[in-house]
Amino acid sequence: MINKWFKHIGLVIALLFSAVCLANGGDELATQVQQSDAQIWAQLKDGAQGYTTSQSEFHAQPINTYDLRVLALRSDWLAPALMAALFGMIIIFVLFIKVNGISKLHHGFSGKLVHRWSKFDVSIHWLGAIPCLLLILTGLTLLAGRFFFQPWLSAGIWEAIVYGAKQIHDVMAIPFMIGWALMTTLWAKNQLPKMYDVKWFLVVGGYINFGPFKGKHPDAGFANAGEKMWFWAFALFGLVISASGMLLLFPNLFEPSRTLSLIALVLHSVSAIVICAFSIVHIFMATVMSEGGMECMVSGYCDENWATQHHNLWYDEIKANGTLKYKE
Amino acid sequence: MATMKFLCDTKRCIECNGCVTACKNENDSALEWGIQRRRVVTINDGQRGEASISVACMHCSDAPCMAVCPANCFYRTDDGIVLHNKDACIGCGYCLYACPFGAPQFPKKGAFGSRGKMDKCTFCAGGPEENHSDAERQKYGANRIAEGKLPMCAELCATKALLAGDAEVVSSIFRERMAYRGAKNAAWN
Amino acid sequence: MKLTRKSNIAPVADKPALGISRRQFMKQAGIATGGIAAASLMGTGMMRRVEAKEVPHDAPIEVKRTICSACAVGCGLYAEVQNGVWTGQEPAFDHPFNAGGHCAKGAALREHGHGEKRLKYPMKLVDGKWKKISWEDAINEVGDQMLNIRQESGPDSVYFMGSAKFSNEGCYMYRKLAAMWGTNNVDHSARICHSTTVAGVANTWGYGAQTNSFNDIQNANAIFLIGANPAEAHPVSMQHILIAKERNNAKIIVVDPRFSRTAAHSDLHCAIRPGTDIPFIYGMLWHIFENGWEDKTFIKQRVFEMESIRAEAKKFPPKEVENITGVSEEDVYQAAKLMADNRPGTVIWCMGGTQHHVGNANTRAYCILQLALGNMGVSGGGTNIFRGHDNVQGATDLGLLFDNLPGYYGLTSAAWTHWTHVWDLDMAWVKSRFDQTAYLGKDPMTTPGIPCSRWHDGVLEDKSKLAQKDNIRMAFFWGQSVNTETRQREVRDALDKMDTVVVVDPFPTMAGVMHRRKNGVYLLPAATQFETHGSVSNSGRSIQWREQVIEPLFESKTDIEIMYRLAQKLGIAEQYTKRIAIENGLPVIEEITREINRGMWTIGMTGQSPERIKLHTQNWGTFSNKTLEAAGGPAKGETYGLPWPCWGTPEAKHPGTQILYNQAKHVKDGGGNFRARYGVEYKGQSILADGTYSKGAEIQDGYPEFTADMLKQLGWWDELTAEEKAEAEGKNWKTDLSGGIVRVAIKHGCIPFGNAKARCIVWTFPDQVPVHREPLYTARRDLVAKYPTYDDMQVHRLPTLYKSIQDKDLSGKYPLVLTSGRLVEYEGGGEESRSNPWLAELQQEMFVEISPADAADRGIRNGENVWLEGAEGGRIKVQAMVTPRVKPGVTFMPYHFAGVMHGESLAPNYPEGTVPYVIGESANTALTYGYDPVTQMQETKASLCQIVKA
Repeated sequence: MINKWFKHIGLVIALLFSAVCLANGGDELATQVQQSDAQIWAQLKDGAQGYTTSQSEFHAQPINTYDLRVLALRSDWLAPALMAALFGMIIIFVLFIKVNGISKLHHGFSGKLVHRWSKFDVSIHWLGAIPCLLLILTGLTLLAGRFFFQPWLSAGIWEAIVYGAKQIHDVMAIPFMIGWALMTTLWAKNQLPKMYDVKWFLVVGGYINFGPFKGKHPDAGFANAGEKMWFWAFALFGLVISASGMLLLFPNLFEPSRTLSLIALVLHSVSAIVICAFSIVHIFMATVMSEGGMECMVSGYCDENWATQHHNLWYDEIKANGTLKYKE
Repeated sequence: MATMKFLCDTKRCIECNGCVTACKNENDSALEWGIQRRRVVTINDGQRGEASISVACMHCSDAPCMAVCPANCFYRTDDGIVLHNKDACIGCGYCLYACPFGAPQFPKKGAFGSRGKMDKCTFCAGGPEENHSDAERQKYGANRIAEGKLPMCAELCATKALLAGDAEVVSSIFRERMAYRGAKNAAWN
Repeated sequence: MKLTRKSNIAPVADKPALGISRRQFMKQAGIATGGIAAASLMGTGMMRRVEAKEVPHDAPIEVKRTICSACAVGCGLYAEVQNGVWTGQEPAFDHPFNAGGHCAKGAALREHGHGEKRLKYPMKLVDGKWKKISWEDAINEVGDQMLNIRQESGPDSVYFMGSAKFSNEGCYMYRKLAAMWGTNNVDHSARICHSTTVAGVANTWGYGAQTNSFNDIQNANAIFLIGANPAEAHPVSMQHILIAKERNNAKIIVVDPRFSRTAAHSDLHCAIRPGTDIPFIYGMLWHIFENGWEDKTFIKQRVFEMESIRAEAKKFPPKEVENITGVSEEDVYQAAKLMADNRPGTVIWCMGGTQHHVGNANTRAYCILQLALGNMGVSGGGTNIFRGHDNVQGATDLGLLFDNLPGYYGLTSAAWTHWTHVWDLDMAWVKSRFDQTAYLGKDPMTTPGIPCSRWHDGVLEDKSKLAQKDNIRMAFFWGQSVNTETRQREVRDALDKMDTVVVVDPFPTMAGVMHRRKNGVYLLPAATQFETHGSVSNSGRSIQWREQVIEPLFESKTDIEIMYRLAQKLGIAEQYTKRIAIENGLPVIEEITREINRGMWTIGMTGQSPERIKLHTQNWGTFSNKTLEAAGGPAKGETYGLPWPCWGTPEAKHPGTQILYNQAKHVKDGGGNFRARYGVEYKGQSILADGTYSKGAEIQDGYPEFTADMLKQLGWWDELTAEEKAEAEGKNWKTDLSGGIVRVAIKHGCIPFGNAKARCIVWTFPDQVPVHREPLYTARRDLVAKYPTYDDMQVHRLPTLYKSIQDKDLSGKYPLVLTSGRLVEYEGGGEESRSNPWLAELQQEMFVEISPADAADRGIRNGENVWLEGAEGGRIKVQAMVTPRVKPGVTFMPYHFAGVMHGESLAPNYPEGTVPYVIGESANTALTYGYDPVTQMQETKASLCQIVKA
């Protein structure tokens, strides 16, 4: 289906045209080509399949057609975009923190640690997170490395890096997908959007330390609106990146057409850009921006003051229903 | 500088597979069972309209494989021949997806998408290694271009359907044939 | 970058060394010895030779001119040899036949220098295990066994199966070996290839060979292919066919049950029902006569008894032809009209026409079509009969046949006298070698032997029904794959029953592995033609010289060496090589060529001395790709390869005859006319030509063949020298070894063989004119009554069945017509080509082509396995290829596969390391009985079968 749609958006293919013209001996000859010749070329251009003694993949089809803009899309847009999603976001955040400062706990650390994540939750987080970081770095190498890194590297080093990137990328894909699947299914119930999430957005989560936003603390449940957005983006693009990745990683299992593989490649990159950008935000928020945030994914407990400041509704709720548990 | 191209005259091609085994013969040291750098495809097989065409790497001017390769392992020679560096190849298969002609092939078909180093037609021009070195022979096969010869497939074509060489020369040969066919047709119809 | 090649001439080594230098030889010998030593320690699989990839690129290159060993087009190529290893193959753009082109097989030729799957040393089957033996033991044991059988059962119980892969010299020496052993039980694959052509065509106008040349097809305005698929079987010939199509707008008509690769390039394709060639041709002739398209002058002057044909053709009006052949009335008319409108037109046929139980009649019908159209003896016309194997023309010429001595002299006492004279032997001695008793009234020395197609009947048939003393008890399979013979189950039984089986071949072949024996099989490794030198005749009668490319691989020996050693063992070596010099313990090949020249007067294979052949091959670039003639150079004015007849002695410098029976040329320049071969009159009517003669002939009318007496009558006798007179006295042009009669005849512009009409009736054949007879196994039972086959009869030494087979109606149980043919990747029985990885990779599965309708009826999908059962019950398991290429009701199989029988692999029977890359069921396991009454050609093109899903 997708395949067909994709074909329709760009039937006239510059490259194909040049190849066929060459085979016909140039444009000026086109008129002299016998009718049957024209029919044969029409069939070939249409992607006709035939008989061949070769057993290799796709060899029964002399010419495969697809929208060649895919190639430019990758080199001119997706590769820079992924670079921007990684390094651009880091730069933006560093500047932001320089200007804005971090979000401190107004009342300091209470020393009382509230149970927020189970050990299992923590482990699945890292199961997804560590591969995710590696995948971002290796994926960046694979998509954009030749444009941004290779010119600065010797041939041997580049070959080693890109080869290593491919190997790591392939291996890390598996734990990442398991992590993604577990997080998405197990955590979804806490991530459903609520009305107060709108308000959270209006004050940018209370992280801005100047202007009208200064000192604001919007309501938030177990997850705040920003986290929810990250969660759903991660769920959706994680799905896309996993599915497209599976096609690319296990071509023998799914036997995708070449065009489908190219589409998968594009979708994979687009998803990577989104996930990468969110990941940078997420990492900054958890580590630098939000004092006490990192602790949650280390021990599974958060400071009581951190809970009241950032997730007041959740804190109130667990306190009310008695599920609040302090660290022994 | 010349621009090297292949051209297959479907009116002449008889699917004798001479080009396929010529390639096997000449590039024997670099090829293994199952890899056919060149193949002949016959459409409408067994019925009116049957036509065969010999297909391999077309050494495109804007080669999609080159554009899509993550390792940037392709390069173009001064003669317009698209070659690749097997040492840099990571076996991702993107070139296979991008190539309209199905030219790139991979020796392995393992699970986990491990494919090994890509192989494709070199226009009998070897690869980045030193001309005629053992490394070149074992990785890429023959280097006839360095000897002033053209690719074996075209040189051995039984009916001279497959032509190789400078684009202008090749198309002028073809143009001459077309003129013969066209003129006679005009006279007879 | 230079666009053209730096040089059109292949690079030549600094030292134009003939053979290899001493240093190289030492180097190579070291490798070989090491290999053998290692092999004896490690067993077969470990045997190793130096590989091309191990030779340094800059090692000095020796360039050898050699000829492809696949089909009979005779493509030339340059083989590059470094350090004794065949490292490169370069196109011979300057070769007149192929201009550098090759098909899959030719392009993979260099693999012969690898020979991974070859037989490595002599072997013997002992208690079911292959055991390595020495050459001495092998020759001794085989020789002793021969002598033993000779003692008990006579010389006719040893069978000499030969090969179309031998050089001319090899063919000649093999026939001579059989003769001196004392038997006519010698034959080769021409029996099952073009034997019907040779018989049918020779009996029509004189010679049973391709009348024109591949290159001459470029001059045709119409090309009529019947039972031929050159795109797969002779791909390089398509170069010339397609040039004719492009340059002359030649019309291409393909008559074939399948829409073949050749049909894809045709203007008209007529899918006849297999076995209906004769009604199709009569259908065309009906239109030709009806519309007055025949060449009346030509017929009057040069054709005998066209009236009988006219009468026969009347029986085949369009409706009847459509009913029999399955081709529409319109298409038959079109075929006739295209041929009539576009003259000259050429007719090309191959196995589709010959391999029928009416094969000889088929070939005569094709000839008659050309005679009616007046297309004979002209450039662009003729019958271009494409021979199959690289030297099948030479093997046929040199009498590797059960009914002939070299040169088609037959087996009469006169023929024996002639050859005994050539050999310089005593007739009494030669005669003493044969069984002196007559059997069933037939004298063994002058009675044709047992044919290649039916040697197994010679083993299995009741002794009392054989016209020889005993059954065949021992057979040599020398370069012949027995899987090319029909009735494989009987072939296997025969292999089981014989005392001893001897395979002499580069590969074990089916004779070595398909039997169920535990003992008594010898495998002797023969070298290929690239490991020796000698001459080879292409289909167009041109002779080329193959240079030796490499030394024999492993422990293999050349054919001629093995023959000579056997002769020594048998105690006949002295007579065997009486006129042939021995050097280094082996006959000198050039001397053999000269002995051939000494005796081959009938076909004019007398002028092609080794020196002249080599001169042509070494200067092939000086011959035109269009005319085959050299405009300049050392062979100026000659035709490439001196196609026979190349009249007279080498010194006469005859240029060769590219186009047979061409009256527009002087005989000294390669002209001619139809041969006076059948006397001067028939039933009171003259069969000599009527007021027509070749250019420059002093006898300006028909004349009989030249004899000494005739020269005297003409007053030309005194033009002979005294020596010539002494030799020629009482002889004729065919038996005068001095060549004087030939010389004087040509001097007067006359052709030595006389000037007669071509004949449309052959009074010595079962059918005087071609008669349609339904195949023995036919699906059209309704036509059997009207077009029945022959009555059963005794043909030479064997009883042969016809009517008793056709009478059984098996069309219900076996409703599908079964036919067979070639694939471009493989050749013959395929043992060699399936052992070539570059080729084998391209065709890995034996298959049967079945139409979508028949497949749907049987629930068979493309690529599924099916059981195919032939009409005699042979069952094979193959893959279905569902394709519109065949019409509903017709199935097709390639015949190159073997190594699997009844679904069971024969791989365990091969010596270690010799199993070909690809094995499969042999089509001939399912194919059935049926033999041409004249030549014993087997029927492989029209049988019946049933197919079920496996």
